[in-house]
Amino acid sequence: MQLYSPLSTTPKRKAVRAPALGSIDGLRIGILENGKLNAEEMLNEVAALFVQHHGCTVRTLASKKNASAPAPSNTLVQVAQEVDFLITGLGD
Amino acid sequence: MSTTASFRTHEVPDDLLAAIDYCYDQGWTDGLPVVPPVVDRVKAMLAADSRPADTVIARHPATGLDLSLHAAAVNAVMAGCLPEYFPVVVAAFEAMDKPDFNFHGSTASTGGSAPLVIVSGPYADEIGMNADVNLFGPGNRANGTIGRATRLILRNVFQMLPGISDKSTQGNPGKYSFCIAERARGNPWPPLCEAQGYPKGTSSVTVYAGGGFCNVENHGGNTPEQILSSVADAMANYGCITLGQAVVILAPEHMQIVAGAGWTREKAQAYLFTQAKRSVDGMKSVGKYRDREYDTQHGEGAHALAEAGFMHRGLTPDDILITMGGGDAGGHSCFIPSWSRGRGSIMQHSAIRAPDK
Repeated sequence: MQLYSPLSTTPKRKAVRAPALGSIDGLRIGILENGKLNAEEMLNEVAALFVQHHGCTVRTLASKKNASAPAPSNTLVQVAQEVDFLITGLGD
Repeated sequence: MSTTASFRTHEVPDDLLAAIDYCYDQGWTDGLPVVPPVVDRVKAMLAADSRPADTVIARHPATGLDLSLHAAAVNAVMAGCLPEYFPVVVAAFEAMDKPDFNFHGSTASTGGSAPLVIVSGPYADEIGMNADVNLFGPGNRANGTIGRATRLILRNVFQMLPGISDKSTQGNPGKYSFCIAERARGNPWPPLCEAQGYPKGTSSVTVYAGGGFCNVENHGGNTPEQILSSVADAMANYGCITLGQAVVILAPEHMQIVAGAGWTREKAQAYLFTQAKRSVDGMKSVGKYRDREYDTQHGEGAHALAEAGFMHRGLTPDDILITMGGGDAGGHSCFIPSWSRGRGSIMQHSAIRAPDK
């Protein structure tokens, strides 16, 4: 008996991680908040730790209207020009 | 069909029970046994759509995984669908593929919604769907297996796996199957497919990320205001109220009272929007008030019925889908809350491509 596979036939995408930063001292931070209830507060607290311990500066606060959808590409392109690294995460 | 030759197959012993166990072993089921997707049954399912088997009908926005007609057919067989149900499954995913439905978010979320599939128009009767007694099941093969095929595709094709990529806090019984037909018999209002603008004779599928099921019992009310106020109260309970949309299925007894008094769908929508609300102070008392949401509802472009000092359910009366379904007896309507807290998923619809006769 032959059964067809019920899985997608899409080839797996090759995803690669961005190279790790050599040092975060003095770098520019962006924050991408997802609109959830405590997201902005939580991410600001995290960013404050980088400021305190590594002399970073917070440059950009970007928002997503929809927590569960990918960030719009124009948001990411804009933020990438202004910061060295980005903090994001859920904030319920 | 030569186009199916390139799709991956698994060779299993000629033993049906062993094949069912094989499907379990592969992790292809929703926990219930599936019909093994043997080649002939898949080909028969594919014959219900005239397009090539490798036609892509939906794509996962986060992972890029594609849903081909072939994969949809395999899962439809596994769910127990007959070939004539397949156009409904296909239309459901063509609707879910529209970006505003956001099927990744609504499936992955802790909110635990399930895609409610509502079939409107003559095709529902042609394939023997149930719009009557025991509307939400169990008991009807078409309703049960079309809803189940939707889930199996989310699981197997899009890899929305419980506990891994589907992080629903409590799940939802609709995640096994959540599919109904709009009742045409005795329905005084235009069918949804007509209201959605499809040509006469064209049926439609509406998909909605439903966060559960709330029975609305009212056997004593005998005016539209009494019936709809009990529906509105369910829509605005503190556990459910958000800026999200709503689906309301009126029982025939309730519809007789509402439409019998001359109320149109639009008038009922406006009444429900007006009544389904909580005060700002009340929302604050349970910790659910947010300035951002109030501004969305009351700021520029606010609907004229949005009352200052209150949070309504949804943004406009059009956010409330109302139709009729269920058996003749009983004052039991229902309200289906939307997924989670807001506008993350907006209901969508698509035409059903009925096969040539």
